Amino acid sequence: MPDRKQNLPQLYRFCFLMLGDPRKAQDVFHATLRDAAQRAAHGELPSEPFWLFRDARWRCMEATKTDLQPESFKLDEHEIAPQAASQIERLDPTQLAIWISGAPDPQRSVLALFYLDEFDYHEILDLADLKLSELSRLLVKGRRQLQAWLDAKFPQLGEV
Amino acid sequence: MLSLMRRQRFLLNCAPISANQSGDRSMRLALSRADGSVEFANQQKFDRAVSGVVRLIPIPAESAEWFSEKDLLPVSNWTWKKMVRNPAVLAISIAVAVIAGVFVFNFLSHLNDFPGSTTARKLLTIAASTRPVMLDPVNAEAGTLSDLFFMKHGLEHYDVPPEFADFDTIGCRVFEDDESRRIAQIWVSEKRMQFFLFPAERDSKTGAVLRFPGWRYVHQEGWTGAVTLQSGVCFMAAIRGPDKDLEPYLAKPKE
Repeated sequence: MPDRKQNLPQLYRFCFLMLGDPRKAQDVFHATLRDAAQRAAHGELPSEPFWLFRDARWRCMEATKTDLQPESFKLDEHEIAPQAASQIERLDPTQLAIWISGAPDPQRSVLALFYLDEFDYHEILDLADLKLSELSRLLVKGRRQLQAWLDAKFPQLGEV
Repeated sequence: MLSLMRRQRFLLNCAPISANQSGDRSMRLALSRADGSVEFANQQKFDRAVSGVVRLIPIPAESAEWFSEKDLLPVSNWTWKKMVRNPAVLAISIAVAVIAGVFVFNFLSHLNDFPGSTTARKLLTIAASTRPVMLDPVNAEAGTLSDLFFMKHGLEHYDVPPEFADFDTIGCRVFEDDESRRIAQIWVSEKRMQFFLFPAERDSKTGAVLRFPGWRYVHQEGWTGAVTLQSGVCFMAAIRGPDKDLEPYLAKPKE
């Protein structure tokens, strides 16, 4: 198993992006690793390369299944602005995580996996069990919605 | 063409954020075509900025403790030793070894096969179970029995080779085997040897005699037979014991 696939700091960040809450992220992260350690002790570690992330994703989805769900309404979407990078740089990681964790699945998983910059698109398709067209659509939609949110949050920068 | 362009569009939307996520050929092709596109450049800047914020996510000290405990998540160490100890691998290895052993045994057993060797082995079994009372008493040299076989039984060329022709006979008989072939059996006093004369094996299509040169050995249940072919009839000298008991007789062919 390549080291990249067992990147534990990235696993924690994934949990954080999925849940938007450091406490919950830690719980899921610890539960995933405890289970993995037990399986390792019994020699039952899966052979697939990114099973830790798959397991953590499933736990994150389970953890939020009983949470209050936001009302479904259509978010604004804006074209990616040339100055978007400067808007994003003003974001706190927690703000970004809260925004991503508020997205419905599988968009939430796609955004979290993609922006970890840990997996190529084949691996994301496999992890999120999606087709290329779906992944493409979810990423485009995510970028446009995030841009709209950035424009609303930092209007003065968006108008430059 | 349209679907190819759509796929390239999809790929560009999923384009890797950093260069170390080397894409496949189709991704590289899509990236090369998008080179210089303002829209794509904006997307890349956007993705890099978001990814940059993600990298800033702090790792709590409690979680960071896991990173140093490497043994908690050992990398699956694939070793030959570990693999050999795997019961499934062990079972398969044993099965393969047994199959290979049987194969090698069969191969070696049939390495010295020759036309008529199967019949010769059957006759060695008969030799082992034959008692003197089962044969007609004859007091003559083995070489003289050819006439008896021809005159009494109509068996042509049932000749004892010169190497064994001088031995005194105790008894002889002619019988049919399970394939109705007529077999002549001779018991001689010399080391209680038995001789067998039987029809040579023939090609099932042409009927031609399947030939083999010189003397060939067969073994069955502690008995050894030395077989030779002459005039379409096989002669076998059978003895209880190893090859070396027969070798002295075969080494010096008589004129």
